[in-house]
Amino acid sequence: MRIILAEDNDILRKSLSFFLESKGFSVDQFSDGKDALDAIKENHYNLILTDINMPGISGMEITQYVRETLKSDVPVIILTSSGVEQTELDSFDIGANEFIAKPVSPAVLLVRINKLLNTRV
Amino acid sequence: MRDYPIPENELERLAALKRYNILDTLPDNAFDDATKLVSYICGVPIAHISFIDESRQWFKSEIGIGVSEVPREITFCNYTIMDTKMVEINDTHLSERFKDDPNVTGGFNVRFYAGVPLTTPDGYNIGTLCAVDHVVKELDDNQRNALSIVAKHVMAQLELGTKNYELYTQRKIAERAVLAKDSFLANMSHEIRTPLNAIIGFTDLLAQTDLDETQKDYIDSVQIAGENLLIIINDILDLSKIESGNLAIEMEPFNLKKTLKHVYNLLKVKVQKDVEFNLYLDAEMPENVIGDQGRLNQILVNLVGNSLKFTQEGEVTVSVKKTEETADGYTLRFSVKDTGIGIPKNKLKTIFERFTQGEESTTRTFGGTGLGLNIVKQLVELHKGEIHVKSELNRGSEFFFFITYKKTEVQETASKTVSKNDLGHLKILLCEDNVLNQKLVKSVIQNFGFELDVAGNGEDGIELLSKNQYDLVLMDLQMPVKDGYQTTDYIRNEMNFSIPIIAMTAHSLIGEQERCYKAGMNGYVPKPFKQNILLKAIKTALTEEVGPEKRRRIDFSFLDEMACGDENFKEEMIHLFLEKIPGQVAELEEAFKKEDHDTVKKLAHNMKSSLDIFMLDDLSKCATIIEEEAMMAQFSTEILDKINILHCGIEDVVKILKSL
Repeated sequence: MRIILAEDNDILRKSLSFFLESKGFSVDQFSDGKDALDAIKENHYNLILTDINMPGISGMEITQYVRETLKSDVPVIILTSSGVEQTELDSFDIGANEFIAKPVSPAVLLVRINKLLNTRV
Repeated sequence: MRDYPIPENELERLAALKRYNILDTLPDNAFDDATKLVSYICGVPIAHISFIDESRQWFKSEIGIGVSEVPREITFCNYTIMDTKMVEINDTHLSERFKDDPNVTGGFNVRFYAGVPLTTPDGYNIGTLCAVDHVVKELDDNQRNALSIVAKHVMAQLELGTKNYELYTQRKIAERAVLAKDSFLANMSHEIRTPLNAIIGFTDLLAQTDLDETQKDYIDSVQIAGENLLIIINDILDLSKIESGNLAIEMEPFNLKKTLKHVYNLLKVKVQKDVEFNLYLDAEMPENVIGDQGRLNQILVNLVGNSLKFTQEGEVTVSVKKTEETADGYTLRFSVKDTGIGIPKNKLKTIFERFTQGEESTTRTFGGTGLGLNIVKQLVELHKGEIHVKSELNRGSEFFFFITYKKTEVQETASKTVSKNDLGHLKILLCEDNVLNQKLVKSVIQNFGFELDVAGNGEDGIELLSKNQYDLVLMDLQMPVKDGYQTTDYIRNEMNFSIPIIAMTAHSLIGEQERCYKAGMNGYVPKPFKQNILLKAIKTALTEEVGPEKRRRIDFSFLDEMACGDENFKEEMIHLFLEKIPGQVAELEEAFKKEDHDTVKKLAHNMKSSLDIFMLDDLSKCATIIEEEAMMAQFSTEILDKINILHCGIEDVVKILKSL
């Protein structure tokens, strides 16, 4: 299973991808939203894991692009430190499958990833 | 490119559109529902709500169109926004204007078009609400009416959105104003306390010299006036702390009976000769409880002080009764009852409000700021308690309040009264630049029987410290050349001296105390200082077990979970943290100084994620607050404090991580 991870905080990104790789996923990591979107356009990923606030373009824009322009229904999980309810509503509105507030619990993240991947077999 | 008409008031129209901030917003249910309604009402497959800016028609909501915008030149709605009422074209093939339009002959295959302009209250058509079909159609009057009504509702919805936004902005402005007021109060009180410190201190010293009767009398008056002034300033400071949510109720075990007796003894001296002053304690009242002794003191001194002031004859009675006991707490009813002048009925409701006293003349006759009862009420409420008043004019008043205290197992450790004799002869170094304060501290310290050397700044202090043997350092925080923090840092980290250092400062800002301890100081005495408080601080600093430092412990469980047990990876992450975070703090401070809100916001945001990985919740919270304020593009004084806490906290963490 191939996951793309877009997150601009180095420590969090490296930790998350180390964690996910330890669980058997292959992870492509990006700290810039634009680079991540370019990779999404060129490769096939089973799941997208993205932060909202990033340099380049935001996770919201990535999600919107994936749904509207690429017409893809690849599972999207949005990570954010925003505690604002509207952010969560907006995330679902533009087509994200999951919304996880930071700090992200690795165990919870894993469960949600597996759930999204399994229901799509 | 096709020609299309442009409204006469195009510029104003665009400005009006801009006001609503609607373009390129995310979908909104309210608008989607309205679009569905249009489709149902007219029985058409295509409906939309759209806005027209200089170059495009943007769809806020649409059915049957499938794109989010089209170039302005191709839309029929260009004609609709020229009109004040609905435009209905029953069959485009019969319309000279439209029969050859690409969207009629192809494209969206428009055969029927009905559009209602969306008109702002000041008369600009900023967009349209449309029904479109591929077949010939004619709406009946009900349908036309319904469309206009929906269009009105859409406009109302837009107006509501801007009103909400305005309200939100207004609220933020109001909140900022409150913050500004609080920091103004805090700063003012600080400025006033500094000279007052000198006045009260020297008066104290003067009172201890040989004086004749008249001089004693004058000095008494100066002392009373000085202390009253200090009370007023402290009241104001308390209020601003309560308002800004910075006043916390402590939870420490204390002896309730002793506290009450202390208040009684303290105020006994103020009792007028025809007044009987009583203290009644319920036999079942617990001896020790957990709570905030200082604040209970403050509440009682305030209430009893009032009663004594307003009672010429009769009695003032303080009583405490246990009203409820649960497994882990007691609820107590404290009452202060007097036979004084009482409060008129119509003033009872407002007696707890600020600057309200029983009568206008009260201030003239009895003095007072009118803040006391308001503070008392807020303090009781911070204890999650309630306060009530019963009173009859010329008969007397009773103020009573309920507070629930937690039970305690531990007996309060009997604090010995400070006596200088236990300390022997001490040699103390004072680092202080203000000559008045130097003199004041020198006299006080000599009164205690200790020896004092004075350094005018931190640099001189360090020099003296390296030459002579001292038992303790008193450290002012604001000094030229090297301030108190820098000096302490040098003593602790360069000279590696563990000599006790007590901070003396006129700042009474929250967070400063914490910063002092973090910097390695052992005690903290706010100015204006009371002699016994200084002595107590010296004693505590000297007798305190120099045990293991009160250190932060870092919780690695989150990182461990991420690392799945891989120690190398964990180490790598710690390394990365050490590499990045100190630089980010420095950048943050720099950006804060330059008021670069955007950079502050980004940095705080990024740091938050790093702090979360090491589960530094307190620091992460600071970062959140900093980020939020940066988003509003306005920093309050509180933020400087948060940045300080963040700075110290991270320094601490870095030290610990490096030592691993």
